[in-house]
Amino acid sequence: MHSSGFFLKDVAGFLGGYYAFMAIMNGVAALLLWRKKGQIGWTLVWTVFAGFLLVLASLALSGASDLVPALPTSVRSLVNRFSGPVLYTLGTFVLLTVLFIFRRFFVQPMVAWSILNAMLLLMGLSMADENFASIVMKPDNVPIVGLVFLLAFFTWLATSQAVVNDDRIARGLPTVEKENDEKVLVWPDLVYTELICMVAVSAFLLLWAICLPAPLEEPASSVKTPNPSKAPWYFLGLQEMLVYFDPWYAGVVLPSLVIFGLMAMPYLDFNKKGNGYYSIEERKFSYLTYQFGFFLLWITLIILGTFLRGPNWNFFGPFEFWTPYKVEVLNNVDLPQMFWVNLLDQPLPKAPSGASGLVQAGYILLREAPGLLVMGAYLVLLPPLLAVTVFRGFYAKMGFIRYMIMANLMLLMLTLPLKMALRWTLNLKYIVSIPEISLNF
Amino acid sequence: MAEKKKMTVAEILAAARATGGQDSAAKPAALKEPEAVAEQSAVEVPAKPVPKPKPAAASSAAGGARPGVADILAMARAKKAEAAGTAAQAVSEKPAAAAVKPVASKPAPKSPAAVGAAKTGVQRDTASILAAARAAAKPGPVAKADAPSRPAPKPRETAKPIEEKAAPPRTVATLPAKPVKPAKKGAADGEDRRGFLQIAMGSAMAMGFTALSVTGGLFTLGLARFLFPNVLAEPPSKFKVGSKDGFPAGKVETKFVAQYGVWVVNGDFQGLQQVYALKTVCTHLGCTPSWLEAEQKFKCPCHGSGFYKDGVNFEGPAPRPLERYAIRVADDGQLEIDKSKSFQEELGQWADPDSFVTV
Repeated sequence: MHSSGFFLKDVAGFLGGYYAFMAIMNGVAALLLWRKKGQIGWTLVWTVFAGFLLVLASLALSGASDLVPALPTSVRSLVNRFSGPVLYTLGTFVLLTVLFIFRRFFVQPMVAWSILNAMLLLMGLSMADENFASIVMKPDNVPIVGLVFLLAFFTWLATSQAVVNDDRIARGLPTVEKENDEKVLVWPDLVYTELICMVAVSAFLLLWAICLPAPLEEPASSVKTPNPSKAPWYFLGLQEMLVYFDPWYAGVVLPSLVIFGLMAMPYLDFNKKGNGYYSIEERKFSYLTYQFGFFLLWITLIILGTFLRGPNWNFFGPFEFWTPYKVEVLNNVDLPQMFWVNLLDQPLPKAPSGASGLVQAGYILLREAPGLLVMGAYLVLLPPLLAVTVFRGFYAKMGFIRYMIMANLMLLMLTLPLKMALRWTLNLKYIVSIPEISLNF
Repeated sequence: MAEKKKMTVAEILAAARATGGQDSAAKPAALKEPEAVAEQSAVEVPAKPVPKPKPAAASSAAGGARPGVADILAMARAKKAEAAGTAAQAVSEKPAAAAVKPVASKPAPKSPAAVGAAKTGVQRDTASILAAARAAAKPGPVAKADAPSRPAPKPRETAKPIEEKAAPPRTVATLPAKPVKPAKKGAADGEDRRGFLQIAMGSAMAMGFTALSVTGGLFTLGLARFLFPNVLAEPPSKFKVGSKDGFPAGKVETKFVAQYGVWVVNGDFQGLQQVYALKTVCTHLGCTPSWLEAEQKFKCPCHGSGFYKDGVNFEGPAPRPLERYAIRVADDGQLEIDKSKSFQEELGQWADPDSFVTV
């Protein structure tokens, strides 16, 4: 619908180069495999794939609107129709879980290379869509595209080393790190590397700044907010969190807890293993907790905030036009409303007009009683309950104080996904809502 | 500098000796180290060989069983000389620099360069001497009487304490070492000009912190002055928006947003038709929502909060309704909005007659 001929002409040159680069990449891979011998099958696969990419590159470079390779319109509209915050969050959760469970399969170099190619190809094909390209190629969104690929690469790298180490440990062999613990000198080995990196990164940043100029907008005004108004990319996860919470919680308490939690980790950790080498099996709880917080509660929220949140912070599919007039039904209510009005069918407890402050406070407490009880049970009853059930071993090893800190940090971390789920399923706005003193949870 | 080095060596030696016990003897010996070294050095001092045994030397000599500093050094030097196979003839200007000069040299007239060389040689040589001395001292005590038996040239005892130096023409070059003495004395007593503030304030720490807090206080006061500017360029909080007739029923007037940050709405609130002024600040995090005419709602671009036309929140994270400004019909029949007063629904303030004008 929005893929005009003009747009395709503009993007065709870039896409031609993109596919040509991919072809060269795969050609080099094939060459390296050929030199290594014994990989004839894969060599052939990547050679053929490189040839296919060359065909795509020449098609793209032709610039004709019906020749530029793109995803079929039906596929795009299907993706748009089914994408939403719920599917996105659940989808990433399932995807990451699958990647984790079958990590032994996914860390194989050829599998990883195939996935990388699939990602790049999918992105190239999507880029022929004007709506997709206008978001992805925006200068301030480019770092997040880089982040997706870099994170995928580094996670793969670490996971593959952890898998190797886990296998070795299982067979009673020393870890890779222990076996090749060749030490190098700080000077010159490290300092020179750092110097070279510094020069290279500076040059890269200079080039980047020249090629992708910073988005300068009109002077700021307190009465004019751009639509959509987005935080810097690294805070978009925070902004997404704010959709579900009051500013004091999502903007102050949760970020502080992230920082303090990360600082507390070494003191909470009682597992002596995994020190100085990659391992997943030996530190499964730590690994999963961290990756859950990092990937699902931070990275995927950044990606969601960057690419999928449009005007009025509405959710838009990857190929959807960002119209400020999209209507989404997001009505939501507070827990007291649900409890008193919807469940008990009676008006909210309200202090008679002219009542003293104390009476008013009493009425507010009564009104918020269900929410306060839920919160109290969650934060006060759950930790001891967990200590005698799921975390029995943890409690024994950590002691009371360390266990309580750990349990509370975990529960507070989980408030985010829980609140998201409650918002999606029950249209719940706040569990405790005392706007009189700006305290909402 | 030279003196300092000497003292350090002395301390090291004192500590080394202290392991052998006899603290009472060790202390004075350590203190008098420079002299002791000078007395026992294998140095040919051509001028002024004043035989003036120092108490330390005497005590260590009398000690007999336990090696004194001088003994250790002399012995070590002797070993060194043996190994080198040459008699060390060092040029020394003052006791402080009286350690061995390893390079065999003639007792040449002391030029400043020679003195410098002697000085620069001090540190390294002393270190090696000490190392050798410690190694030699381990097997057992060496009496001072044994020292003369070494094949090294017999030392000529000399006593040239720094304090007593009469500054002969030759020794002019060593004079800079002197000023240490008065400074030391002054610091110890705290009675010179530099010590005055210290005495007055109690301690250097108190002085420093007093200065710091006074400076900090003045700085803060200076900063606080910026909170009260001489001229305050603020738009007036009261402004007129025209007569009531300019706001037909059901209309949200957005033309005052850019200048005043206010929507003037002629709407229905709890069954009453009113004109009210809504503040264009989202109650979630303070962005400016936009009025969507087609959907008849205010929608915030930051986190998606939505408000009905009457300002009541119904979607997104905003916890409470938009706020109202005070509005009234002025004497000339125009509507006047006062931004200095605002009314919050959740506090029941929208019932205040100042917060709306009945149509």
